[in-house]
Amino acid sequence: MPTYDAIVIGGGHNGLVAAAYLGRAGAKVLVLERRPVVGGAAVTEEPWPGYRINTFSYVAGLLRPQIVQELELGQYGYETILYDPQSFVPFPNGTSLSLWNDTEKTQREIAKFSKKDAAIYPKYEEYWDNVLDLVEPLLLAPPVPLPELVGMFEGPQAEELVRELFLLSAWDFLDEWFESDEVKISFATNAVIGEMCGPKTPGTAYVLAHHNIGILDGQRKVWGFSKGGMGRISEALAGSARHHGVEIRTGVGVRKVLLQGGRAVGVETSAGEQIHSRVVASNLDVKRTLLELVPPDAVPAEIRQQVQRFRTRGAALKFNAALHDLPEFTAAPGRPGPHHKGAIEIAPSMEYLEKAFDDAKYGRFSTHPFLDMEFQSASDPTMAPPGKHVMTCFVMYAPRELAGTTWSEFKPTAGERCLDTIAEFAPDIRRQVHHWQVVSPEDIENTLGMSGGNIFQGDITPDQIFSFRPILGWSSFRTPIPGLYFCGSTAHPGGGVTGGPGYNGAHAILEDLPGIPKG
Amino acid sequence: MVGGGHNGLTAAAYLARGGARVLVLERRPLVGGACVTEEPWPGFRINTYAYLAGMLSGRVIEDLDLTRHGYRTIPHDPEAFLPFPDGRSLTLWSDLARSQKEIAKFSKRDAAVYPKYLDHWSEIIGLLGPILGGPPPSLRELAEQFRGPRYERLLRDLVLRSAEDLLSEWFESDELKAVLGFSACVGAFTSPRRPGTAYVLAHNSVTELEGRAGAWGFCVGGMGRTTEALARAAQTFGAEIRTGMGVRRLLVQDGRVAGVETDDGGTVESRIVASSVDIKRTLLALAPPDLVPAELQRQVRGFRTCATTLKFNAALRRLPRFSAAPEAPGPHHRASVLIGPSLEYLDRAYETARAGRLSDPPFAEILFQSAVDPTVAPPGHHTMTCSVKYAPTALAGPSWSDRRAAAADLVLATIEEYAPDIRGVVEHAQVVTPQDIEETLGMTGGSCFHGDLTPDQMFSLRPFPGASGYRLPVPGLYLCGSSAHPGGGVTGIPGRNAAQVMLADLKGVASPPA
Repeated sequence: MPTYDAIVIGGGHNGLVAAAYLGRAGAKVLVLERRPVVGGAAVTEEPWPGYRINTFSYVAGLLRPQIVQELELGQYGYETILYDPQSFVPFPNGTSLSLWNDTEKTQREIAKFSKKDAAIYPKYEEYWDNVLDLVEPLLLAPPVPLPELVGMFEGPQAEELVRELFLLSAWDFLDEWFESDEVKISFATNAVIGEMCGPKTPGTAYVLAHHNIGILDGQRKVWGFSKGGMGRISEALAGSARHHGVEIRTGVGVRKVLLQGGRAVGVETSAGEQIHSRVVASNLDVKRTLLELVPPDAVPAEIRQQVQRFRTRGAALKFNAALHDLPEFTAAPGRPGPHHKGAIEIAPSMEYLEKAFDDAKYGRFSTHPFLDMEFQSASDPTMAPPGKHVMTCFVMYAPRELAGTTWSEFKPTAGERCLDTIAEFAPDIRRQVHHWQVVSPEDIENTLGMSGGNIFQGDITPDQIFSFRPILGWSSFRTPIPGLYFCGSTAHPGGGVTGGPGYNGAHAILEDLPGIPKG
Repeated sequence: MVGGGHNGLTAAAYLARGGARVLVLERRPLVGGACVTEEPWPGFRINTYAYLAGMLSGRVIEDLDLTRHGYRTIPHDPEAFLPFPDGRSLTLWSDLARSQKEIAKFSKRDAAVYPKYLDHWSEIIGLLGPILGGPPPSLRELAEQFRGPRYERLLRDLVLRSAEDLLSEWFESDELKAVLGFSACVGAFTSPRRPGTAYVLAHNSVTELEGRAGAWGFCVGGMGRTTEALARAAQTFGAEIRTGMGVRRLLVQDGRVAGVETDDGGTVESRIVASSVDIKRTLLALAPPDLVPAELQRQVRGFRTCATTLKFNAALRRLPRFSAAPEAPGPHHRASVLIGPSLEYLDRAYETARAGRLSDPPFAEILFQSAVDPTVAPPGHHTMTCSVKYAPTALAGPSWSDRRAAAADLVLATIEEYAPDIRGVVEHAQVVTPQDIEETLGMTGGSCFHGDLTPDQMFSLRPFPGASGYRLPVPGLYLCGSSAHPGGGVTGIPGRNAAQVMLADLKGVASPPA
């Protein structure tokens, strides 16, 4: 008799979600996490005493409300703080554009750049609400095959939607709505974040949709902070999982999946211990799972080839810092200002963003990178010592492979470039920075085990979503190896701290494992 | 019929053949639109714009008996010749074994895989051909044809991926990918590394010449012979063609298009009007503004009509010598000669053009038609046409007319890297810029495809959802040019499909066509 019903490899947020749902259904579950902390990319660490830093993942909002509710995460410490403004984009000429949670307030901001765009903005909001009505039910469910999905859209209006969501670039999409470049760029950053794509890359309109699924405090299309840091999400998930009887061991990596008669029957840990289970769920990406944890002959050559081709290109680095005080932005003097309580986007034009991508295509860290910055301590004082602040920046584009150098060599230069770029908009930044760290795509890959340093465990472009994710024919969370399942972002509905893949993976397992005593 | 390009003529011929009384109005002194052959220098017949035969629908050739009217083609063989800066080259022949031997110079593995790749393409062409030949399917109908994992994958590969992605599934050699993938940028202002270009590649592979699927070739006597044959066919069926007569605007009666006003102020009344000019010109310039609702105007403006190409055409004293293949004439002079040694070269060319400049260095597809067809040049002399990419519609800085000399110099300097004697063999040369294409042919933005051929503008999405069936949302007005399905290229299919729709509608109206 196997010791466990299910072993979950990797205690990232999705692994924990899967474990919690399995435990809740009465399964006996073991989670094995290689690092000393659970959470994977959703962790908060303290590189400098008193400064709580979201080392990797940095923003809440995508976690599906159904999961928050069903796993009672509120009871385990999950709490969020809505950004308001959602974003603040400073421009070199000293103007800026803030997007607020209040539509009219946002319209007034947009009107500074275009009255026409301001008038259209409520329609744009409504457009996304309609899209979300369609998309939301597809997230916590097995993916629909693309032809079926496309077949659901009939008539010119529906066809228009297919065109916009799957085929257009964010650039063309936003061009059809707005005339002001400042307005367009304020929306465009969500269309490329984490992807090795520029705003002119077709398919990025979908990426924009993916990043609009956030819900917080009943508001759609919003982002926020996880109070106490992103790690709190994972801690809450772990708390809920343990409550449902799940056993979690940290500091225990998995070397391989044990196979018997072609079926997954357990794992061997890095220390050589063999643990048996009825099924194994992998929270790791498809490349790690099918190319490293199982022997080559366990996966048909044709599928191995497809796995190798699954795009997992890292596109970003993190620049995190401990600050003496908040920096002062030329476009919005004063500190703290309301803009310190949301995301600050350093990407002053559409062309700026596209050029930043051009650099990265040929293996260069962008000369003028795009930065998505947060000062969580401005909204959540628990993150820094009294009077002090933290800053996290998600910085693009940082290709995994650099031309002519390596990340370990290049990290200091990359850090200086981030500071130089910020200084263009907040000249006192260097005076405020007390400590800083660069987390390169190589660090993300080595520390977290994410192939290519890709934060989504695979690009979420239209050719890698729904039934294409991660491999055509194996999008139902099952793998070519019976008893082995996907429950990480490499599976539908993809990356971001949504919990969706964990939920979906667990439900596929429950379908296949009848007779789990209801706990 | 507004415009006597190849699609206008095709539509007119089918309409006349169906018994309708048809008048074609062409603004230029000659018919053909972009599919013309002109003689800028005595004795040298130059394909000013369109330069390749192969896309014209076999059905159109047969239905309109074009062979009888002088249409004749010669397939390329070799098909392509790609020289590299290091003096090597890759030639693709119509003979498979010969191509494999060439490919093996770069990768034995790729050479072995190549026949399978061709089979795969035959399947794609077999699937795509009927879709492109008929009226545009709705997305739902299209999706029906792609059920099951195998077709689902094909749908993904063609519509959502880049040409480079698709080629990388098969091959390891960058040289081979370059020669197979360059046409992914023919038809849209995009790079073969961008999603959607796998479709462009497929679109440009749906050709047939002398019974050979996937083949390209020369139209004997020049591309103009194609449209001359179409015009003769149309006239044989009774269509009337007036050249030198542009259309100023559409006439409207009771909310219905009822004829046209010509440039000289005259009016011609008709039961219906078909436009073979692009959708932007049709609905934003020719139609009275009050006939086109604001939302429709917005959709029309959203249709992308980006220029991609500049033509550099020349009269030659003799054929140039390529460092990679010194003989002249050599077999490679009969092929499409490609200056663009890798897909990355194309991607970088795209990048410079995005900034509002002619790519530096540009990509060029060069043809020496006279090496195959001596009728196009005086004895001993030769013609050269180069399709040069990317040439954006809008330049940063001076206008295209001020950039002509610099562009010519850049093209020659680029060719010189591969054929050092090029400057010495050129007798005369002309540069046809996107601005020229726009002004001379009336193609918006200088887009020779009447709008980018990317997946977001194809099938039922061309020119935009709700207007793809050749009937425009304006009563009495039809679209029969390349802005309609299946898009640009000398196919004749938009013309043919539109004519069928018009004939059906005309029969439905009370009085039968006279």
